[in-house]
Formats: sequence, C-alpha cells, structure tokens
Amino acid sequence: MYNLKMLKGKGQLKFEDKWVHMRPIVLKLLKQEAVSQAEWHDLFYDVHLVCLWDEKGPAKLRDHLHEDIVQFIKQAQSRVLAQREEEALLKAYIAEWRKFFTQCNYLPTPFRQLESSLQGKTTSASSSMQGSNNKTNSSDECIVRKLMLDSWNESIFSDIKHRLQESAMKLVHAERNGEAFDSQLVIGVRESYVNLCSNPDDRLEIYRENFEAAYIQSTEMFYKLKSSQYLAENGVQAYMKYADAKLKEEESRAQRYLEAGCYDVIQCCVKVLVQNSLPMLIAECAPLIKAGETDRLQLMFRLLERGPLGVQLMLQQLERHISQAGLADMVAAADVITQDSEKYVERLLDLFRKFSKLVHDAFSDDPRFLTARDKAFEAVVNDTTVFRLELSSGRNVAGKMVTPESKCPELLANYCDLLLRRTPLSKRLTSEEIETRLRDVLLLLKYVSNKDVFMRYHKAHLTRRLILDSSADSEKEEDMVEWLREVGMPADYVNKLARMFQDIKVSEDLNALFRTSTERHDAINIKILNAGAWARGSERVTVSLPVELEDYIPEVEDFYKKKHSGRKLQWYHHMSNGTITFATNGGKFDLDVTTFQMAVLFAWNQRPTDKIAYENLRLATELPDGELRRTLWSLVAFPKLKRQLLQFYPSVSAPKDFDEHTVFWVNQDFALIKNGKPQKRGKVNLVGRLQLSTERSQIEDNQSIVQLRILRTQEAIIKILKMRKKITNTALQSELVDILKNMFLPSKKMIKEQLEWLIEHKYMRRDDDDINTFIYVA
Amino acid sequence: MADENDNERIDENQRPDKMFTLKKWNAVAMWSWDVECDTCAICRVQVMDACLRCQAESKKDSYGKQDCVVVWGECNHSFHYCCMSLWVKQNNRCPLCQQEWSIQRMGK
Ligand SMILES: [Zn+2]
Ligand SMILES: [Zn+2]
Ligand SMILES: [Zn+2]
Repeated sequence: MYNLKMLKGKGQLKFEDKWVHMRPIVLKLLKQEAVSQAEWHDLFYDVHLVCLWDEKGPAKLRDHLHEDIVQFIKQAQSRVLAQREEEALLKAYIAEWRKFFTQCNYLPTPFRQLESSLQGKTTSASSSMQGSNNKTNSSDECIVRKLMLDSWNESIFSDIKHRLQESAMKLVHAERNGEAFDSQLVIGVRESYVNLCSNPDDRLEIYRENFEAAYIQSTEMFYKLKSSQYLAENGVQAYMKYADAKLKEEESRAQRYLEAGCYDVIQCCVKVLVQNSLPMLIAECAPLIKAGETDRLQLMFRLLERGPLGVQLMLQQLERHISQAGLADMVAAADVITQDSEKYVERLLDLFRKFSKLVHDAFSDDPRFLTARDKAFEAVVNDTTVFRLELSSGRNVAGKMVTPESKCPELLANYCDLLLRRTPLSKRLTSEEIETRLRDVLLLLKYVSNKDVFMRYHKAHLTRRLILDSSADSEKEEDMVEWLREVGMPADYVNKLARMFQDIKVSEDLNALFRTSTERHDAINIKILNAGAWARGSERVTVSLPVELEDYIPEVEDFYKKKHSGRKLQWYHHMSNGTITFATNGGKFDLDVTTFQMAVLFAWNQRPTDKIAYENLRLATELPDGELRRTLWSLVAFPKLKRQLLQFYPSVSAPKDFDEHTVFWVNQDFALIKNGKPQKRGKVNLVGRLQLSTERSQIEDNQSIVQLRILRTQEAIIKILKMRKKITNTALQSELVDILKNMFLPSKKMIKEQLEWLIEHKYMRRDDDDINTFIYVA
Repeated sequence: MADENDNERIDENQRPDKMFTLKKWNAVAMWSWDVECDTCAICRVQVMDACLRCQAESKKDSYGKQDCVVVWGECNHSFHYCCMSLWVKQNNRCPLCQQEWSIQRMGK
C-alpha cells in the first residue's frame, strides 16, 4: 500500500519505457548467457512495475515476450535445419531443445507478477495461444512457460517434426536390421515430444499423436514386409520362432523408446506377426497335436494367446483331436474292450493320461485347455459307436426307443466288481493297488453322463457280493461307498448302498442267533434282508424245493416270528445258493450251486441213472420255463468244465432249443480234470453270475431307469419352480441340468415332455405374455 | 430209543448212496412290514424306508438305526410309529379313516 501511494505520485509509467531495459536481459536468458544478479533483480522489479502501473502493461509484456521467444526459436530452427545428415539433425535438435527446455524453467521466474495480473483479469489481448487456462494455477502451468513451450511446438516443432520422426524411425529401422547407433538420439527426440505438454488433461497428447503414431506405423510397415517374406522362405515352424523372438524383441525395444508402455505397439506387432498369419498357423496345430510336439505347441500357444481368436481355434483343434483319436482307439480295440472290462478301463485311462499329459506339457494345464480335454473326453466316454445300451421307456408299447447310451458305466461297474470280489485279479493286487484302480474308475465316472446306470450295476454287483459272501475286502467295500459320496454321487443313491451294509450286519447277527438256537442247523445259513434296501419291486421266482431244503423253511419262519412281529417273509430262492457233495463212481466233489441247480440235480437222487425228459424236470422243479432252460444249460455246458455234470440228447446249441422231449442224465464219469488227469476229489463253483432277477424284470429294470429319470426330472422341475416362482425356459433348462447331472443328462426331448405333462396336470403354467416363461402353480 | 438210533444209522449208511447230498445252504429271504399300503400317509415315504425324520438323522450316525418301526391301528391302517406318535398329539384320529386312533400292534 505504501509503495502504491508513493509511485502514484510519480505520474504514469509506460511499458515501453521499461521494456527497453528488460529486453536485453530476456534475450540473454533465452540464449543461456550469463545474467548478473542486479540484472536478474531489475527484471523482477520492472515486471512488477509494468504490471502495476500500466493498465495495458501485462498484455503488452506478454506479446513482446512472445515475439522474442518466437524469434529465438526461429534461429534455433535454422541451426537445426542446417544439418543435412539424419544423426546430426537429431543431435542438433536435441541439443537446442535441451537448452530451451532448461530455460523454460528459469525464464518464467521473474514474470510471476505477470502471471497473477493476467490471470486476475481476462485481458483484452486474447492472443492466439491464449487457451482457457485460467483454471489451472499450478506453477507448472504458468503462462510464460506455456508460452515458451507452445511457441516451440508451433514454430520449430510443427515445421520439422516430420523430419525428426522420420529420422528417428530410420534409426529404429536400422536397429531392427541389426545396425548399431546411439539410442540416446531416439530417446532425446521422444523426450522433447513428451515435455511439449501443452494440454494439462493429456500430457502425452503430442507424444502419442506424433511420436508413438509414427513409431507404430513404421513398426507395422517393417513387419508387414518382413513377416510374409520370412514365412514364405522358412515355413511355419521357423516362422513361429521368428515371430516369438521378434515380439519379445519389440517389447524390450518399446520399453527403451516409448514413453507410456508398449501395449499399442505390441498389439500392432501381434496383428501383423500373428493375426495376419492365423490361418497358416492354425493349419499347423492339428499335425503338431497329433505328433505330440509339445514344445512347438507351447510356442504356438504363447503366440496365439497374444491376440484374439487364436486360442479358441487351438481349443477346437485339441477337442477334435481328443475325441477323434480317442474314438479311433476305442474302435480299433472294440473286440477286446467289449469283452473285457479291465482292458476297457485300462484303455480309457491310458487315453486320459495321454491327453492330460499333452495338455500339461503343451499348455501348462491352462484351464481353457483342461476344459477342452474334459469336453472331448466326455464325448469319447459317452460315445455309442462301439457299444450301446438300449433304454426304452416302456411307456409306449409301440417300442419307441430312447436315445442309446454308452455302455461305459456298465463296464466301469463290472470292473469295480472284479476289484472288489474275490477274483484272480483282486488276489493278484495289493490293497493299495486296488484302491488306486478304484479311484481311477471314479475319475472316469466323472465323465460318464448316465451315472445312474453305473449305480444300478454297481448296486447289483454289490448285492451279489454280499449275498454270496464273495467280497475280497469288506473294508474296501465300505470305503468305496464313501468315495462315491465324495465324487458327488447323489446322496440317496449312496445311502441305499450304505443301508445294505447296515442290513447285512443285522442279518449276520440274526443268523448267529438262529444257528445257536438249535444244534441241528449246521447246514443252513440264513440271510433275512430288508426288502426296502435290497429288492424293491423285484419279482420272485417260484421253485419246488427238494425236501432236504424244504424241511428248514418252517423252522426258520417260526424262529423269525418269535424275534419279530408285524413282518412277512418272502423267500428269494433265485438268490439263495449252497454247496452239495456229488458222489460219482470215481470220486467225491463239492459243488457250489444255486438253489435252482440244486433243485434240478436233486431230482436224480431217487433215480440216479434215469434219463429224465425236460417236461418231467419242469414238473419236478416247477421252475418257469426260462429259468429251467438257463439252469439246465449251466449244468450241461458250464464253460469252465471239461466234463459236464449232466448230459443230454438230442444235441442243441442254445438253451432255447431244448424241447419237452429233450432228455437229461447225470454224467457218471464226471470228474474235475487237472493237468489232463481226472481227480478223485475237488471243488468247483457252478454259480456263475448270481441272478438277481428274472429275464422279464431285467427289461423292467431298464424301464425303471427311464421311469426313475422321468420322476427325477419332474421333481427337479417342481423344486426349481417352487423356489423361483417364475422362470424362463432357458434358465430352467440350465438349472435342471445342474441338479440332475450327477445322475444323468436329461435330454431336451424328455424335459419338454415332462414340462408339458406338468402343465397339463396344473403343477405349472405358461406365462400369458411369454410362452417361454413358466409360472409355478401352488 | 433203539428205533431212533437205528434210523440214524440207516441214515448214515444211506447217505453215501445218495448221489447228491446237501452240505450247506445259504437261504435268502426278504422281510417287509405286513401292511396293506406301502406308503405312510403321513410322511409319504414307503413304510419299508425309515420316515423322513429318521432318514435325516441317520445321515449323521450312518449305521445302526433300525428302529423306525410300523404301527397298526385298530382300523388296520398302518404308519411309521414316529409319524403317528407326532400325529396323535394334534389329532387322535386315524388320518385315513378318521376313526379314533388306538394301537392294535407294533412292528418289531
Ligand atoms: Zn411316515
Ligand atoms: Zn422314524
Ligand atoms: Zn384308519
């Protein structure tokens, strides 16, 4: 305030008077010449005075300053342009720029007062470079500094930037061709671009639009030419290595020469080096997979992963290879694997391991490739080319067939049986080996889409093992149940198995009680089982028991009635079995037989040498025709026996060809043959595969699988609707598959049928506005 | 006494003459509740299976539970005992025939 009053008294002060003194100092500063402390101080003071006392002073000051800066820049430009040669030009430019840029930090200092004056009021002299800069007050964005940079940008830079860029890119080009040069030249140019920031919102604008754009363009040009040339001359294999190396090279080059990351330029390289040759590269994929060239596949994956689409195409190739190679392998081995569940499982596992190793070695177990493997392997497992399981719903008597399914689950269950039953295989293996193999089965089971079929066969095998006491290891049996639970088999399926174990223990206790209740019963063991756990809906077969067996029945029933009440007993003679002794002319043999076989053989006890006609055997045993034929066949043509128990006439080649007059007689020369010699003693098991149900109920069994699926589908639909109240068809389908996939894969057709059934029966309805939306009807 | 002994001896002598003699018989039978209707009308589960509550519990102590028995009323209708004992707390009539409920017998 004091100054103000004092100076006002001195009269008007003119800008022009002061500028004469200021200008030489400004020019010195621009040229980086030495400025004394007094001069420096005067400049401060003069700026202050001009801004304070001359109303037009600040604008004039700025305009004059601008003029001098531009003038200085013009001189610098001519010094730069005097250089003809690329490197020299760049060197000169960089030198001038660095000098100027340094001054950009000094020159503005004395003009602080000017800054605040110009910013305080919007001056009339709106010069060309006056942006709407009022809002930013930071010292970085001070007006004089901006004036300097903008002037540089407008005069020297816009005039020669093309030459600069061109020169810089020529150097980069030379470097790509292996020539050495001073990389500082390119870096220097870049720095000048970066520091020419006039736009505070986008400090890299000039750099990006000019330098980076030129860099990317020259890169693209370079590789466009080189890559097709290289590919044509060296082939795809070498080209992949080339492209990979070049991409890495460009990454590190971009790190050196580019300011803000290398994303854009690498994207450009990927486009030129990879995407443009994608068809050629992909064409190589299948042969590489086939040949197991994991290193090259790795390389291809690394390359293609950089751009869009490539990986997806590789996934398709992998998927196609696995399903084709897998199927071809299965078809080639069809003769063996359809007969031998062990070989089948081994084969499948071999394939699985082979494909998994491929995915591991070539694609480092990338989740996308694992998914492709799973999808393709699933196709192999569930394929029906080699063998199929026909499931008919039985609803339509017209014989409408449901889509055939893979027999895989049946074979897996058979293999489990070989491992869990006392068999040559299970005897050969250690406990750990058996566990490993069972876990292998569970691994394969994961890919089976009709798991309910596995469970049905597994349950049937388990039933046989428990009834015949033929488990190799009861602990392992129960482990298996828990493992099935662990791999996500539906709880109610697994609980049923657990219930059988529980029940067989109850039955063992009961048998022990029965056997101690009287001493007469050393020849009989009883298994009285819970029908709900074992034999729901299965049909019994009638048989007229030999007296030796019949005698036991009332006693067992009396015993049971004393123990329990409210229960009824049904004898399942098609499941019971035993051991009999067969005395021949030459020896004595113990035969493990079914009760049906017993019933047939005991018919000869009264008339050992008689020839008995089929019809008479039927009357004696009261067995249904089919059962009797099957039983007789097992006694006249048992595969393991060299000499059969029964002989018959006239000869036929299948059980269905016996007629009522076919006669049967006991082979009095029966003997077990060992090393070609008939033995006097011995034991043989004639039970074979214990029949759990009659022929008719096997068809019913198949139907029951389909019926059960229908029921489960309906249940699941209702469950979803109850929860969601309203749901679109698409959403419903996917939730449905989610719920059911651990049992079976519901077909679209079946879902549709059940939806219609449920709508018809008013469990749900279609939305009035959208027929593809369903609404729950409570 | 003498007769019996004689018979036994005769049996033993005859045995080798028989071509086939029984050594061991493993007889299999299935038991089920002697009911007219397979399904418990209260919980809608088959009476041969444990009732819903017992099924939920037996998941915890996986083995051993075998005591979800069946009960018959004087009307001859039958239910899970568990289900019926809860039912009669609300309503002392048979859910099927509305007769007053009284137990005729229990399964064991
Ligand atoms: Zn109930
Ligand atoms: Zn209960
Ligand atoms: Zn009643």
